[in-house]
Amino acid sequence: MSNLYDLLAFEVVEGIEEGLFTAEEYVCSVIKRIEDVESKLHSFISLDSEGALSSAKLIDRKLKEKENIGLLGGVTVGIKDNISTKDIRTTCASNILKDYVPSYDGTVIRHLKENGAIILGKLNLDEFGMGSTTEYSRFMPTHNPWNLDYVPGGSSGGCGAAVAAGECTVSLGSDTGGSIRCPASFCSVVGLKPTYGKVSRYGLISYANSLEQIGPICRSVKDVVMIMNIISGKDMNDNTSISSSPITINDKSNNLDIAIVKELIDGSDDAVTRTIYSTSEKFKEIRCECNEISIKNLNYALPSYYTLASAEASSNLARYDNIRYGFDLPIDDYKWDNYFSNVRKNFGEEVKRRILIGSYVLSSGYYSKYYLKARRLRSLLRLELLTLFKKYDLLIGPTMPILPFKFGEKIDDPLKMYLVDINTVIANLAGIPAITLPVGFSNGLPIGLQIMAAPFEEQKLIDASYALENTINIQRRPNLI
Amino acid sequence: MISKDELAYLAKISKLDLSEDEAEKFPKQLERTIEYIDILAQLSSDDPIVLDLQEIKFDELRDDVINTSGGRPINKNLTEDGFLKGPKMK
Amino acid sequence: MSLVMIGLEIHAQITAINSKLFCSCRGNYRDLKPNTNICEICCGLPGTLPIINRKAIEYSTMISIALGCKVPNKIMFYRKNYFYPDLPKNFQITQYNVYGFSSIGAEGIFELDDSKKIRITRIQLEEDPGRIVYLEGGMNVRNSALIDYNRAGVALIEIVTEPDFTNPKEVRLFLNKLSLILEHLGVCDTLLEGSVRCDVNVSIKGGNKVEIKNINSFKEVEKAINYEITRQNSMFNRNIKIDSETRHWDDRKKITFKARSKEEEHDYRYFPEPDIPVIILGDNFVSNLQDHMPELPNQRFDRFVSKYKLSEHTSNILINDKKLADFFEATLKLYFSPMEIANFLITDFKSLIEDDIDSSDYLRNLKVKPAHIAELVKMIEGNKISRITAKDILVKIFDSGKLPSEVANNTNSFKISDEKTLMDAVESVFNTEKCAVEDARTNHEAINFLLGKVMKFTNGRADPKIAMRLINNRLNESN
Repeated sequence: MSNLYDLLAFEVVEGIEEGLFTAEEYVCSVIKRIEDVESKLHSFISLDSEGALSSAKLIDRKLKEKENIGLLGGVTVGIKDNISTKDIRTTCASNILKDYVPSYDGTVIRHLKENGAIILGKLNLDEFGMGSTTEYSRFMPTHNPWNLDYVPGGSSGGCGAAVAAGECTVSLGSDTGGSIRCPASFCSVVGLKPTYGKVSRYGLISYANSLEQIGPICRSVKDVVMIMNIISGKDMNDNTSISSSPITINDKSNNLDIAIVKELIDGSDDAVTRTIYSTSEKFKEIRCECNEISIKNLNYALPSYYTLASAEASSNLARYDNIRYGFDLPIDDYKWDNYFSNVRKNFGEEVKRRILIGSYVLSSGYYSKYYLKARRLRSLLRLELLTLFKKYDLLIGPTMPILPFKFGEKIDDPLKMYLVDINTVIANLAGIPAITLPVGFSNGLPIGLQIMAAPFEEQKLIDASYALENTINIQRRPNLI
Repeated sequence: MISKDELAYLAKISKLDLSEDEAEKFPKQLERTIEYIDILAQLSSDDPIVLDLQEIKFDELRDDVINTSGGRPINKNLTEDGFLKGPKMK
Repeated sequence: MSLVMIGLEIHAQITAINSKLFCSCRGNYRDLKPNTNICEICCGLPGTLPIINRKAIEYSTMISIALGCKVPNKIMFYRKNYFYPDLPKNFQITQYNVYGFSSIGAEGIFELDDSKKIRITRIQLEEDPGRIVYLEGGMNVRNSALIDYNRAGVALIEIVTEPDFTNPKEVRLFLNKLSLILEHLGVCDTLLEGSVRCDVNVSIKGGNKVEIKNINSFKEVEKAINYEITRQNSMFNRNIKIDSETRHWDDRKKITFKARSKEEEHDYRYFPEPDIPVIILGDNFVSNLQDHMPELPNQRFDRFVSKYKLSEHTSNILINDKKLADFFEATLKLYFSPMEIANFLITDFKSLIEDDIDSSDYLRNLKVKPAHIAELVKMIEGNKISRITAKDILVKIFDSGKLPSEVANNTNSFKISDEKTLMDAVESVFNTEKCAVEDARTNHEAINFLLGKVMKFTNGRADPKIAMRLINNRLNESN
């Protein structure tokens, strides 16, 4: 057997239940792995080794006493640091929350704990989820385990890197405009952005509420299914959550009608395009039909996304005034509005830019010019996609239009940075599920295939992904040491 | 074009103090972003339908029941009387 | 164009509600230690979401119906963005009407009286902010402020009218009627401290609109408007331009004063609240609610006139004091004599309680209950006691809470109808009032004098009819 930390989630649960190894042994292996590679990757903002070890011991004790250890008993989970964890510092990689310790667990965390998962620590991200590289983390950038000079993608870059490198079994990220799929693609792991409403957002620190979902980043499709079935469902603490049926792993994929989105191919680098085309050939091996189609409103998707996301962000981030929680900054002698401005200058530049853009598109002179138009495009795009899904089961294309890039390449030009999200924002605007699957490499840099489906058709995504995963043979583990 | 005055206004309603460096480079950066989203203007504006993604039925909403079992939501020290100290208002 | 135009923006807390609008903390935040009625949601902790209270929508719909508003099939919430330390999220979740309405009520018409209608622009449901506490010594000498979030998130109704009022009296009438409606619906106790607040806009002679903010009770509204009209008139007469501005009401000095200009520079950047889906009320929502909602004051008035045959005047007096009207109907259940009970309540009873009328609980704390009044009126109608005696007994039971029959027994207050006892009294009067007796034989008026004397002799307890017969008999006898 290879290293324990290499095991997939379902292998971990089976191994512990069958007594092949103890939960403690498994967690020790993961912690050792972190000790070995973390200095190169910087995936974690907070690590709770002691808590993880004591949770592991508890699982071993339960097993000895023939108690149920839960569907995820012993699985170590890294949590993006914008999901509220009781008594574990939750920073959003922002100086403004650097000392914030929540008093409550988000719904997904509660579900994980109830099912025996071990919360290992909090993973790095771009500040408040705004970015595509983790370079906007106010603490440090995370490095891509496949090549340390390259960005891991973002905003859930810590999640992508940690899972790819074996620093945790699985992780939970959040995806507002691609923040799960971008790092999953760049780090060659599987990432799912669920249908809007499938997973409770209670505890997810809002960047753009109407667009974002929590979702899993894993090393296999099977693990994604396992995690999804634990974290999804209607939640009384989130009025936007909706109940849905569980998903399963099916050994034979059904005959699916698949369409390649032409615009997504056209806008991509050649290396990416070549891999996507050759992957689409593989669909034929699994008895799926593959056509090429066009989405006519795609030109407007990214402008619409940035308008809406910034608008919501400008309002969501207003609460950080350091009055009720936050860091140490004496209030004496400040007039309140000066105090607020003084506190809030601790936001990073990108967050400030988005707040300013958000205030701009919502302000009285510009509301109908930008915000309302963006809403309208969103409706049109969703309608167009729903129509396409009447004909096709799945839409595919490259997750990212480009290969992972080096640090500093785009940081000085915000617009260039925004453009890397162009393929992923579609699913967020339309509220549909989208998965990214590792399908190849170019010059040692990962390439991901994005598959989108109609609302609540996660099962189709999983069927296609699972079949493809078994067909494609690529390197699964980066050579870190 | 975003002028420095306009930026100052946006910063004011957003309660953000901008550094000199930010005040210098933001107008151009924001301008580029706004030019980019200006493409939205090409969309027809007749009947600005807003197809809302989500609906919820009245019957599904929360019952009017008191539950005071929550945790301690304020992370800062309170005064003896239980008040939270805030900055002065005038 | 009328000389004076006044519009109102009224905020009323839904005080009848158990929990807050978006979380399960108590709706009744009063008398609690600061910051003990708070949770993750109403403190706006990162990652929390508003979970809307169904009852709040029901209550606000009832108010909308009562004020003649249209209630849409779907409602939405909006964010109103502004920074203030009493606002935990630095935005307020409220409602807003653009492109078709989405607030709980809109386009209402309210009949003030037969000749005057007030248009209701909209009614919206929103959350109350927390409280900033100003301690003795004033803000300026302190270097910080004190905040209490117990109130943050309490359900609040905003009622906005068109500027259809032309004088302060109409405003007072409207606010009285509104209070009565809220009381009848049982949704808002307007007498609770801080439960109602009012913003007023006033313009004269078609000039600029001046807004007066934060008038903290309905009583002060009329005073503020009167002050403002006088102020604007005197400016107008001196040819001073009246600016469109925001002013505040100082309820100690009874003047309005100009707000610092900064407070006016608001760009609220409204947009639909993403955390609350569109709420589908459904087609039958309003009609179902209408069938089950409490009786409104005007419906009650009609019922009092038609069912109890009360005069409009009497009905009005009762209904304008809901607790008295309730008391009246509770008494009727024990003894059905609407006119006698109504008259007794609005005269003798009301004159006794008038002093206490300001306290909201004056009837509940009263020792006299409907059972007392029922018994008392039954005794009057059964000819057991006189009306005068009844009033005396009422005074006595008011403090003691004893039953009227018990008091009547102990004080020998029942009417004397025993002829022998009354004959003794007549004899005694005939002996002492010889001149009057002589007079009475010729002058009928003097008989009443003798009756009066008999009544006085029996401490008012003599049955006047029997006494009169005995006097007449006695006069004839000695003839």
